This record gives sequence, structure tokens and C-alpha cells, in this order.
Amino acid sequence: MGRFFLKRLLQGVVVILGVTVLVFVVTRLVGDPVKVMLPLEATAELRAEFEKQLGLDRPIGVQFIDFLAGLTRLDFGESLWQRRPAMTIVLEKLPLTLELASLGIGLAFILSIPLGIIAALRPGGATDRGTVFLSLIGLSVPQFWLGLLLIVVLALQLHWLPTSGIGTPAHIIMPTITMALPALARLVMIVRSSMIDELNQQYVKTCFAKGLSFYRVVGVHALRNAALPVVTLCGWEFIRAVAGYSVVVETVFAWPGLGLTAMQAIERNDLILLQAIVFTVAILVVLINILMDVAYRAIDPRLKLT
Amino acid sequence: MNSIRRVVFIMVGLILIAAPAGAQEIVIALGSEPTTLDPQIREDGGERAVNDNVYETLMGRTPDGKLVAGLAAAEPKLVDPRTWEVKLRPGIKFHNGELFNADAVVHSVKRIMDPGFKSEQISFFSTIKDAKKVDDLTVQIVTEGPDPILPGRLYWMKMVPPKHSKDPKFAESPVGTGPYKFVKWNRGQNVIIEAAPDYWGAKPAIKKVTYRFVSDSGTRLAGLMAGEFDLITNLLPEFTKKVPQAIHILGLEHPIMILNADGGPTKDVRVRQALNYAVDKKALAEGLFEGFAQVAQGQLLSPAFFGFNKQVGPYPYDPEKAKALLKEAGAAGASIEVIGTSGRWLKDREMVEAVAGYWEAVGLKPKVRIFEFNEYLNRLFDRKTRADAIFVVSSNELMDADKSFSAYYKAGGVGSSNTDKDLAAMIDSARTETDVAKRTAHYNQAVKRAFDQAYFVWLLNIEDVYGLSKRLAWPGRVDAKMLVSEMKVK
Repeated sequence: MGRFFLKRLLQGVVVILGVTVLVFVVTRLVGDPVKVMLPLEATAELRAEFEKQLGLDRPIGVQFIDFLAGLTRLDFGESLWQRRPAMTIVLEKLPLTLELASLGIGLAFILSIPLGIIAALRPGGATDRGTVFLSLIGLSVPQFWLGLLLIVVLALQLHWLPTSGIGTPAHIIMPTITMALPALARLVMIVRSSMIDELNQQYVKTCFAKGLSFYRVVGVHALRNAALPVVTLCGWEFIRAVAGYSVVVETVFAWPGLGLTAMQAIERNDLILLQAIVFTVAILVVLINILMDVAYRAIDPRLKLT
Repeated sequence: MNSIRRVVFIMVGLILIAAPAGAQEIVIALGSEPTTLDPQIREDGGERAVNDNVYETLMGRTPDGKLVAGLAAAEPKLVDPRTWEVKLRPGIKFHNGELFNADAVVHSVKRIMDPGFKSEQISFFSTIKDAKKVDDLTVQIVTEGPDPILPGRLYWMKMVPPKHSKDPKFAESPVGTGPYKFVKWNRGQNVIIEAAPDYWGAKPAIKKVTYRFVSDSGTRLAGLMAGEFDLITNLLPEFTKKVPQAIHILGLEHPIMILNADGGPTKDVRVRQALNYAVDKKALAEGLFEGFAQVAQGQLLSPAFFGFNKQVGPYPYDPEKAKALLKEAGAAGASIEVIGTSGRWLKDREMVEAVAGYWEAVGLKPKVRIFEFNEYLNRLFDRKTRADAIFVVSSNELMDADKSFSAYYKAGGVGSSNTDKDLAAMIDSARTETDVAKRTAHYNQAVKRAFDQAYFVWLLNIEDVYGLSKRLAWPGRVDAKMLVSEMKVK
């Protein structure tokens, strides 16, 4: 048990370091923040002067050693764009993104189980085909479009909800739905197919033969065995929500989380802030993966902790 | 009974919460949140939108762009070619009670000049060398060389309180002399300012402003249409008919094509002129901007800018003449490399493609290359090899020819593609000429020279478009500042 986690943790540290170093190199290759920060018409001398002030004129090796030294203290330095410690900004924005991702993926998870089971009970039947069809739509709709559609209908025409921003519980409804839909579509499909597999197993017939109730057979025995891929996908969806969907959803709904911040940091070539964001997200990804390993073993004791 | 009353109370409360801000309160939606509320450190539209109302500058501008005294009692006077003397209005206080006087001005100037402060606004003030207090209400500002546009620069420098600006929390709690004082900044959510009770000037009509930050233009539009916002910035031209009110006013942005005068087919002045004649600028304004843009007057200046030459106008749209000139120059069918970017400026890619289309129509072979912004900047600033044509949008907040001309017209400027020594000399002499008439003459000459040589294809002068709620009255300003003191609720 202990060895298993140690191994996982070590792997995680390697991943995090690898990603962080990669981001350090790539951001410095791609663009020069000073060009974007100063007005286009600023003179070349002024640009050089500014680069010096920000320490970006030093050899990349020196910058890298500096960066590694900071990393040990979790100090990435000041964001070039906001002139505040990058970690402060990340920690300020992260809770908002986690809130949105948890609600969105949580909603998708809760809805996907009953929908997937209903579809799996009679494969090829009308409800099944309907569910598959709706899932396909959910997968195909671009999120930014879905977000704007919700705004037009729920906020503009019906006046039920505010168009954007944060502050009240009403503000989070549309971003949550937008976040949930593509995840829901994928989760429903996976619940459906694993339930179909399980329901065709011999043990299910045995359970029924033993006289167990329908709900007990489907909802407990079969579902537990079908849950493994669903949990995997849920973890994966959560990671995607934090590291990917959040950019689109937060931009559309002016939700001031990490996704919107990442987008703005990229636009402004804020190397420092980007490093802090990627580092934090990498840690999250590693943690969620470890959590999922634990969950597997809780669900399926046949898996050994090796 | 009690419970019914409670329900009624709650419902009334909810209605009050849901209703748009009260009569003299407005909500403004900006594209981006301020990164700081320190008015001297960033080049940041969100910060400026808020602080233009909280802080003031020594010089101000009328809505149509005329430079007038602000915190200064009168226009600055030259006491010697490198020293400007500014008299200050007496009896003005910052919102926290600190006095606005010569010490405050000297402090504000020195603060922004300090290299350790790393101000991104430094390019506006790089000519300033020193500031000296003469007496309590008189300051002298010393420049490196003669600097005729110092009064224009002062219009860009916000005055900060000497004591409070040393507070580490200053960036989150701005204190100025302006008509509005800062109330609260809920990061990520909003900034609130309200009318300052002891303001020295005319009392503004609007009492309270809430700034919201919505980066997506579609969402901003929806918020305006849902009645949540009273004013939104950067309304897309195609949406102007959908909103309760749209106002538009000639802005500071000029899209141009920089032509390489030193090599390739564009080395021949006839080819450069042909490239101008070939483009139907009016159609660009109508087609791409729904009319919310004016045809540029053959110069990188708006009529409100210092240096604008009234004698020069646009090259007319004349494809036949373009073809004839190309033939004469032996450049018919020549290939022209066109550099552009996408998503940085309103309709940037569309403009590049449309212009290339016009050039193709007169028999040239334009090769359009659209780059990601960073890579695009590498091309724009590349001093060794200049592409035949580089698209750029020049913005000039100082409203004086010097900034745009030094960057694009003058040989060796960051984005210039010519080595015209005469033109450079005209710009250099204008730069240090403190006599207004002589300076105007230099610029008139420079504008004419660049026009005759067709160093650029001058395309448009873009209008700023704002969306307004039905109840808001505001005429807009040529300098794009959103001064709430000039707004009213009907």
C-alpha cells in the first residue's frame, strides 16, 4: 500500500517537473512579453531598457536557475501583466474554477447514471436511441455557442438569469449547464455501454434466478461492476473541465476563474503567470489521478495495490 | 398575516435587487478588468477607464480634442527651450485630504520617471528629465531637448497624492483629485466609484458607477440588451442596429499598409501610388465597418491631431490609373508579399484580405501571410528585411504627429520601411521646434512628402462604437476616454 503511493507520488513529481520545465522553455521560445506590453510605437531602446528592468535580458540558463530556486519556495515571481505575485493570482482564481468544474462535472455524473442505465436496459429500443441521439448532439455542440444560446434564451428573452458575472447563486446556473453538457454526453455513453456489457454477464442471470429484486440486481450488482470506466472518465472530465473547458466557459460568462486568467496571460505573453498556472494545474492532474487509483480499489477490491 | 407580509417584503426586496441600478447610478461593462488601480504603472484600458474618473492630469482635453488646462491654472509656458513652467490651481485636495500642490506634481513626475518603478507608460514621458518646485503653486518641468508636445504629454500623466501613493496598498485603493472617488474593488467582480462630495469643479450628474468586466463581446451585448449595463465598449458595427442606442465617434486608430520603399516592386514610387489608387477605401468603410469608419485623409493623423494637413486628402479609387502606373513601372503582374495578423484589431484579417483582393484586381499577385501576433511583431519590427507591405493599426493617444511619425514615417523608426533622409529631417526638426507655427509647417511638409512618395497605403480612420442603454445620454469623446462626469441619465 505505502509503496504503491510512494511510487505514484514520485511519478507525479516527475510529471510536474517535466511539464513546468517544458512550459518554461516553450514560453520563452514563442514570444517576447516586452513587445506586447509596450505600445507598438515604443522605440527599440525603450524596449531593451524595459527588458533589462524585468530581468528578461539575462541568459536563459541564468533565468532557469533563478526559476528553479523560486520553484522550491513555490515562488514564481511577479506576474508581468498584473505586477502581483503569480501564485497569489492563481490561488485567488483557482477556487472559482474548482467550484465551476465540480458543479458541472458533478451534475453530469449524477444525471448520467440513471440516463445511461435506462438506455442500457433495452438496447436498440426507443429510449436507447433517443438517449444516444441526444448524447451525440451534446457532444457536437460547441460550448461557446451553447453558452451564448443559454444567455439569449434564459437571460435575454425570459429574464430569469443574469447574463454574466458572479455574486449570487443565480450567476452559476448557466456556466454549470454549459460545463456539464459535453461531459454528460460522454458519461451517458460510457454508463450505457458498460451497463450493457454487465447485464449480459452470467452473474446477472444468476442474481435474477436467486430471486433478487430488479433494482438490487441492476442498481447494486451490475452498476458496481460497470462503475470502473465511469469513474475513470469522471476524473478525466474533471481535469478537462479545469484545464480546458474553463477557458471557453469562463470567457463566455465573464467568470473570473483560472481559465479566463490563463487566456489573458497567453494574450499578454505573461510567462511568469503562465508558469504558475500550468504548475498548479499539473499538480491538480496528478492528485486527481492518485485519487482515482484509490477510488478504483475501493470499488473493485480485486485490483491489488501494486 | 405575518408570513404574508414577510413574503411581500422578500419579493419587493428581490425586485429591488433585480432592477437596474437606480436613477443616478450606472453600470459600465469593460472588456477587461484593471490589473491595478495605480494610475502610473500600466498600459491598461481597464485601469484607464476607471482612473480617468478618479484621477486628473495637469492638462485636459475638450470632448473634441482641444488641449485645455486641467489641474494647471493655465497652459504651461516655456521659460527657456527646455523648461516648461506650470502654474497650478489653488485649493485643490485629494480625496483623502492631502493637498494638491507643487510637491504633489514633482512627486508624480519623479515617481513615473524612476526606472525602478518600471512604468509601462514611460514611452509617453521619455523626454522628461526633471521636475522642480518653484513655489507652492508653480512647477518647472525640464526636458532633455526642446519638447513642444510636453503639454500633450501632461494630459497623459495622472497626479497622485505624495503620501498615500507610498502605501503598499495604493494600487488597490486609488486616491485622486477627480470628480469621482474610489469606493470598492471586488476582484473579478466589479469596481465601484461614486461622486466625490468636495470636488473642486462642476458637480457631475451621475452619483455612482459600477464597472463590470466582460471579455466576450457577445456577452457584453447580451448584458446591454438585458438592461444590466448602461454602457458597453467596442460594440461590433454589425450589432449597432440591435442595441437601444449606439454612438460612434472618430477615434484614434488608423489601419495602414507600410510599403517597402527600399526594395522589391514597391521600390518604384509609381507602384506605391498604384497600390493606393487600387483600393476602394470607401467600400472598406461601408462593407467591413458598416460605415463606422472614415476614409483616411492620406496621412496617419485624424483631423483632431496636431500636425494634420488639411491640404492633403485620400488617393481616389481609380483602378485604371493603378493599372496604367503599374504598366509604366514595368510591375504588371508583380508578386507582393503582404504581412498581417488576426484577432488583434477589429477586422484586421478582413482588411488585409480585402486590400489584397483590390491589388489582385489590378493585375498584381499579392501573397497574404497572416501570422500569430508574436510572429507578426517579429516581422513588423524586423529592421533587416522589410516585407513589401505590412499591415498595422496605429493608435495615437497623445493626438500629436510625433508618436506615429517617429515610429512609421521616419527612417529607422520601429516600423518604418523607407530611408528618406529629407522626411526624417522634417520630423526631427518638428520634434524639437517649440514655435507652434513653425512646427505645424514642418509637419505639413512631412505629410505632403510622405503622401507624394506614397510610403503607405492609408486605409481608414476607425470610429469608436459604444452601446448605450435607453436612459443614458453621452456624446462620446475623440480621445476615447469614458468620462462619467460628461454623462447623464435621462
